[in-house]
Amino acid sequence: MGNSCRLFGCFLALLLGGMSAHADEMGDDPPSLVLRGFGTLGAVRSDTDDAQFVRDLTQRDGGGSKWTGRTDSVLGLQANWRLADNAEVVMQGVSRYRPQGNFSPELTWAFVHYDPAPEWSLRLGRLGTDFYMLADSRWVGYSYLTVRPVQDYYGTLPFNYIDGGDLVATKPFAGGLLRGKVFAGVAREQSPWGNQQFDLDGSLMTGAYLDYQTGPWQFRLGHAQVRFGHELPVEDFYQTLEALSPGSSQQLRVKDKLTRFESAGLAYDDGPLQAQLMVSRTSSDHAAFQGTWAGYAQLGYRLETVTPFVGYSRAFSHSKQLKQPVSPLTDLFLDEFRCDQYTWFVGARWDFRSNMALKVQYDRIFGTADSRFLFRNETAAWSGDMGVLSVALDFVF
Amino acid sequence: MLPLRLLACLIALLSLPAAAADLVVVVNARSGVEHLSHDEVVNIFLGRYRQLPGGQLALPIDQPSALPERALFYRLLVNKDLPQINAYWARLVFSGKTQPPLQAANPDEVLARLRNERGAVAYIERDQVDARMRVVYELPLLP
Repeated sequence: MGNSCRLFGCFLALLLGGMSAHADEMGDDPPSLVLRGFGTLGAVRSDTDDAQFVRDLTQRDGGGSKWTGRTDSVLGLQANWRLADNAEVVMQGVSRYRPQGNFSPELTWAFVHYDPAPEWSLRLGRLGTDFYMLADSRWVGYSYLTVRPVQDYYGTLPFNYIDGGDLVATKPFAGGLLRGKVFAGVAREQSPWGNQQFDLDGSLMTGAYLDYQTGPWQFRLGHAQVRFGHELPVEDFYQTLEALSPGSSQQLRVKDKLTRFESAGLAYDDGPLQAQLMVSRTSSDHAAFQGTWAGYAQLGYRLETVTPFVGYSRAFSHSKQLKQPVSPLTDLFLDEFRCDQYTWFVGARWDFRSNMALKVQYDRIFGTADSRFLFRNETAAWSGDMGVLSVALDFVF
Repeated sequence: MLPLRLLACLIALLSLPAAAADLVVVVNARSGVEHLSHDEVVNIFLGRYRQLPGGQLALPIDQPSALPERALFYRLLVNKDLPQINAYWARLVFSGKTQPPLQAANPDEVLARLRNERGAVAYIERDQVDARMRVVYELPLLP
């Protein structure tokens, strides 16, 4: 919280500076402060208690064979403070199921946004991570078709925001728009590890993407990387390895090492038709997190107020060859990060009234019995297969 | 069958406001802008790129959402319903990227801003265009 308070202080100062500089232009301008919100009331249940379904790796537990509202429910409030036609301050607070197992609200955005020219956009402060296409609006259910972002693809991302900045350049090019973005900052979040937390605070995140939009088509190539600021909370395990075979824990330690995320996205959006195709590859300098390929394809078609959709997603990983394996301990450890599964999903979104949508979705996950990374609390009976039924009411105001 | 279909067409036509099919995109006459392409209008109103051909910042203005003009405009421009447009803006607004066009409180505000702000871009009915505005894009008529 200390950091958040300091951030607030910085923004207040900037805000007041900006306000006085632009006060004379505020005449009959549109309202300078706009408050908005978004939210989802969601419920999800699966057909097994052998593993729990989570939306992403920020959730320590999730849905079993009983309905739960924790997985997808969220409430967000946002204030946009307009300083001039090309400058604003944005603050957003979100309450959702957190790594600590509660719904305490947290400050997710707090940044100054300044466009020195229509081609340039600069943001400084706490802001969303554009790790993959659409990744910075993962919690705004109203903005997309499915109940939640495709779990095989986005589920491995425990990052929602960074304290840092980003710069976007946009240029008309060959009849379309070419956009490039660079961002850098430090993470502040955590990812649950059993009853403990993998502390991401201080992890340096950097990335860039190149995006081209023409007519209904949008293409994007992205690269992002994280240099972890802390070790996984398994120091006892590392010590055990060292006692058995000195040096054997080194390759499994993550602190100060990189994990890279490469992605390619293709979106087609023309009138009633929406389609997305995304692929990503994750690789690491350490051997703890397995190298992972993930991808999905999704298609939706609007019929009046109802938009049925269907999709397929896939995620699989492969572990590195260890230089100093300590059988069976290292194998058991690496298995924690294993995934090998695919999912068919089908559902519909019903825009039954202005700014509200009702969704229902069924996911059928087919995995190997050792596909565990994207689930929580697996039992020995876990087969890797799961059916997941979800309903959600999304709204914005 | 034919008379039935004719009847359906007639009902569909009647349910639209009489002059609504003649929307035009206009700018302030002093902006120096003569013409906007379909893609330029899309980029300005969907917040992708808000620069007028002369280099000036474009300030798009939406008609009040209660009026049929707004729904008709997005239907003709990008073949999208208002819920889809709202969902589109939810993504951009709540990821802190871009603001939607300024929503006018009433049609008179749209006209007043068009006359007074050099970067203003809006859609109005053709018979509302006066000497201080210039038509820069003609929306297709309803099929």
